[in-house]
Amino acid sequence: MQEGGRDPPSYRPSCLQTREEVKLPARLKGNSLQASEAKLAYLFLMPATLFLCAFMFFPIFRVIQSSFYATDKLGGLSHFAGLENYVTLFKQSTFRMILFQSVYWTVLAVAIKTLFGLILASLLNVEYRGRRFARTLIVIPWASSAPISAILWIWVYHSEFGLLNHSLRALGITQNPPIWLGTPGLVFYSVIWVDIWLGIPFMTLVFLAGMQAVSVDLYEAANVEGANALQKYYHITVPGIRDVLLIATLLSTLWTFNDFNTIYVMTRGGPVNSTHIIITYLYMTTFERLRWGQGAVMAVITLIILSFCAWIYSRLYFRKGD
Amino acid sequence: MLSRGRVGRGFVIFITIVLIFFLLFPFFVTISTMLKPAREIYATPPYWIPKGLALYNFVNMWKFHPFAQYFTTSAIVAFSTTALTTLLCVPAAYALARFRFKGKKIFFFAFLAIQMFSPIVVIISLFKIMVFLQLLNTYFGLILANTVFALSFCTWMLSGYFKTIPLDIEEAALIDGCSRLQTIQRIMIPISAPGVATVLIYSFILAWNDLIFALAFTTSVNKTPVTLGIQNFVGRFYSQWDYLTCAAFLATIPVVVMFLFIERQLVTGIAGGAVKG
Repeated sequence: MQEGGRDPPSYRPSCLQTREEVKLPARLKGNSLQASEAKLAYLFLMPATLFLCAFMFFPIFRVIQSSFYATDKLGGLSHFAGLENYVTLFKQSTFRMILFQSVYWTVLAVAIKTLFGLILASLLNVEYRGRRFARTLIVIPWASSAPISAILWIWVYHSEFGLLNHSLRALGITQNPPIWLGTPGLVFYSVIWVDIWLGIPFMTLVFLAGMQAVSVDLYEAANVEGANALQKYYHITVPGIRDVLLIATLLSTLWTFNDFNTIYVMTRGGPVNSTHIIITYLYMTTFERLRWGQGAVMAVITLIILSFCAWIYSRLYFRKGD
Repeated sequence: MLSRGRVGRGFVIFITIVLIFFLLFPFFVTISTMLKPAREIYATPPYWIPKGLALYNFVNMWKFHPFAQYFTTSAIVAFSTTALTTLLCVPAAYALARFRFKGKKIFFFAFLAIQMFSPIVVIISLFKIMVFLQLLNTYFGLILANTVFALSFCTWMLSGYFKTIPLDIEEAALIDGCSRLQTIQRIMIPISAPGVATVLIYSFILAWNDLIFALAFTTSVNKTPVTLGIQNFVGRFYSQWDYLTCAAFLATIPVVVMFLFIERQLVTGIAGGAVKG
């Protein structure tokens, strides 16, 4: 566990010291606190569970149901339509393009986030004064509010008054910096960069935590054996953070796939759907074009993808400990 | 890996500084812009250091736009979400951490899975529920929706924290005649203060940063949170970047500060077994 973390606190009220000589009442013997207290457990879980049933599971059930129904403009279910919504949606070339685009968006963004995360974590894993401060600064993009950061990026990218293009000119990188949000083909990459930017801190921190959990002994042994830095990296660090790498990439995949804020704030999916992913297209289809049935179909598709990821995550999470 | 020698370390520090500058670029831009008078913001070519300090941007932003209203809404929604989430998640987390009962695995998996779902999956049906319950354009509607998404993660996180606290502390209290509720109140919650704080802050930030529920469930100005209100500054033909950057700065500072307190907890909580090594 690194610095502080969540080691069990040592605080214990003095009046509550466990005394050896105290005879435990029968009901407290053994693993008493975990004994058959099912009733109390259900009572404790009930409020949260009821709440989630009403506002999570019921809505999920309804959205699956309505994907099989024809709907009116207000979203009311009019009659059972079987797979009609699915068929109409998959017949649209726009939708198929957006589905493909979502995959491209996710894969590209996660790959770059992972790369940046690994680089930054390796850099922060070196000891020097001010390292903690550097770490704190790196957290900031993650800590700030995503919808607000996205809107700030519009201003950063501004072709005329934006300081990004100004800096590119001033540093002599290019005298004709691109119009980031106005060039078809480039917009997608300008927007995906903002998503990547938001995701880098998380990757960095998780990788760093993983690297710091790798035993120092291994490195010392390697030093004795005369291994060089690269060998140590490949044979100790990389295998050491394999699990962390898996979990972080998986979670990042989920979040990237679900990144509504960046796209909606920056481009609303335009120009001509070139920055839509399934999540934003779902929102537009439902709330702006009022095609509720098709929106529901997209929600179901998303749900299937997310459930699959959740399943893998739980497998990974439970593999160690717990 | 690059730690060898003074040169290596110097190189590492240099690259780190460059990358940090790169990552914080938008915030430098924001600070530069919010301090400039309008005519300097729209100067060509642009420049970094403001010539005149325009702190009146903050005053005007406050005066000419309903920002007090936006901030109030955000605060009400975020604080209430925090309260509701905590109320629901503490007992649930305790049960998951301490009791043995049938179906525990299912509960575990459900809480884990739900935190993966995005609001967008349920937003269509949630919207209809809000219509049915007449909760559109109400604080309560936003609070409910945000709580749904804060709840599962907080329960998960807190139950993990509870588990790290040794059983015998609680047993001792039970032997001394505390009831179960008293034990939770007087022993578990005080000892788990860092865990509980994480939950409080996490749900606050989640609600404060929400855009999608506000977008879908509110239309009136006096139920608009900052994240949505700020979007109005960017128009098709005319944008007010001076006011926008001021508002963005004010809306971001509190969450950044709070986040820095819980960031370590979040990382260990999320990465779970893998970091415990």
